[in-house]
Amino acid sequence: MRVAFVGKGGAGKSSLAGTFARVLAATGQNVLAVDSDPLPGMAFSLGVKQTDAGLPDEAVEEYEDEGRRRYRLRAGLTGKGVAEQYAVHGPDGVHFIQLGKARGPRWDNARQHFAYQRVLDDLPDDGWSVVGDLPGGTRQPFLTWGRFAETFLVVVEPTSASLLTGRRLARLAGTATAPRVMAVANKVRERHDAERVAEGTGLGLLGLVPLDPMLDEADRLGRAVLDHDPAGATATAVRLLVDVLRTETEPV
Amino acid sequence: MKIAVAGKGGSGKTTTCAVLARTLARSGQTTLALDCDSNPNLGISLGIGEDATEHLISVRDAVDAGDEEHALTADDLVERFGVDAPDGVRLAVVSAIQNPEPGCPCCGISPEQLLGQLARPGRVVVADFEAGLGTVMRLDANPIDVVLVVVEPTAKSLEAGRRVAESVQKTGVGRVVVAANRMRDDEDGARVRTAFPGLEVVPVPDDPAIMDAERRGVAPLDAAPNAPGVRALVDLADQLLSRR
Repeated sequence: MRVAFVGKGGAGKSSLAGTFARVLAATGQNVLAVDSDPLPGMAFSLGVKQTDAGLPDEAVEEYEDEGRRRYRLRAGLTGKGVAEQYAVHGPDGVHFIQLGKARGPRWDNARQHFAYQRVLDDLPDDGWSVVGDLPGGTRQPFLTWGRFAETFLVVVEPTSASLLTGRRLARLAGTATAPRVMAVANKVRERHDAERVAEGTGLGLLGLVPLDPMLDEADRLGRAVLDHDPAGATATAVRLLVDVLRTETEPV
Repeated sequence: MKIAVAGKGGSGKTTTCAVLARTLARSGQTTLALDCDSNPNLGISLGIGEDATEHLISVRDAVDAGDEEHALTADDLVERFGVDAPDGVRLAVVSAIQNPEPGCPCCGISPEQLLGQLARPGRVVVADFEAGLGTVMRLDANPIDVVLVVVEPTAKSLEAGRRVAESVQKTGVGRVVVAANRMRDDEDGARVRTAFPGLEVVPVPDDPAIMDAERRGVAPLDAAPNAPGVRALVDLADQLLSRR
């Protein structure tokens, strides 16, 4: 499956995407986790020690096109090759690549940025699943960073700002003829919260994840919630999300 | 006076920015709040409600679509496309649009350039930056009085905040103050201090009243003016003003 997590900053995209990728990988699938944010987020949620898992310079070559400097993957290197050679190996067998480190000021990310884009256009197909953690907000995630996805999961917490963002994303998805778009209600405290997310975004609800103090604790400690509390509320809820999505996307 | 509020998404930038702007306005400053986020939500935290916040975006979208005339100057933008928020704060959404006209003062220049054009004696401009590093990294030609780096004591948020602070310090564009939200205990304090050695850190206690306000879509300053978290942000505003 190819799934991308979107939503407002802080809604829980990275936590859910990282956990989702590992849970899926633990079932024996080849999983490539891709973080489109130059600031590290998904690495923490995956429990990957290396937080700047960008592509090395040697994977990228520069060329000129009509006088403009451009970048592509080194000759002969495919997206699958990148996943196999350069992705960081994380817990549960998950493979991980990141857009690359962002350090200011005037940090030039052109090389890594374009190489990463090429990888998105040439992701491994046969037998691989891709789980994407997209940048927060509403900057056309459906057309750019998420163009590989078959399913978008809009992560929404029951706050006014997060719901508004979810609504905007649902609207953008409508204009971008995105594939399937569903909501995941996060940090749910009461039954009504999930209904609020479904009603507020107008999206179908794939599932809900309860507000989890253990996730908060894991975030403070910089640990993956799957390592900190493997049988806890977040892990259990994400396992269910994976099951539901697998049932829906894979013919029995 | 120019204040930029930066940090990771979800760390509390917008809430901090809103309490700051309204407190500055209450103390008699002519205050302009700029929402530079491409996913603008500052209106909600200022207390104008979801519908008015959505309206501001639809106006910006109309400019983008060519259905609304562009503003002629930065001030015209604030005048025509802004709204009045509580306590006399003027709020304008200035986030980047898809189809900018190069050089146009309302859409063809960056939020940080706009911030420079709108600042003047007798007016405080508080800008809620896009999450992450982008806007901060472009600040170098546009000095600012204070860059408020908003963090929470999680590994992700501190790492993002650390890079923001580092970027601002390298360029020397302004004084860095760290607002540490959702602080619970000494361990949180130690985490933040370790991430920002030598920097001024203002702790803001973890406060369920702020979360409740956010769930209800109302301004924390209206819903819980005396809650400890809100009080800490009010004090921070007073402090920024007095140490100018």
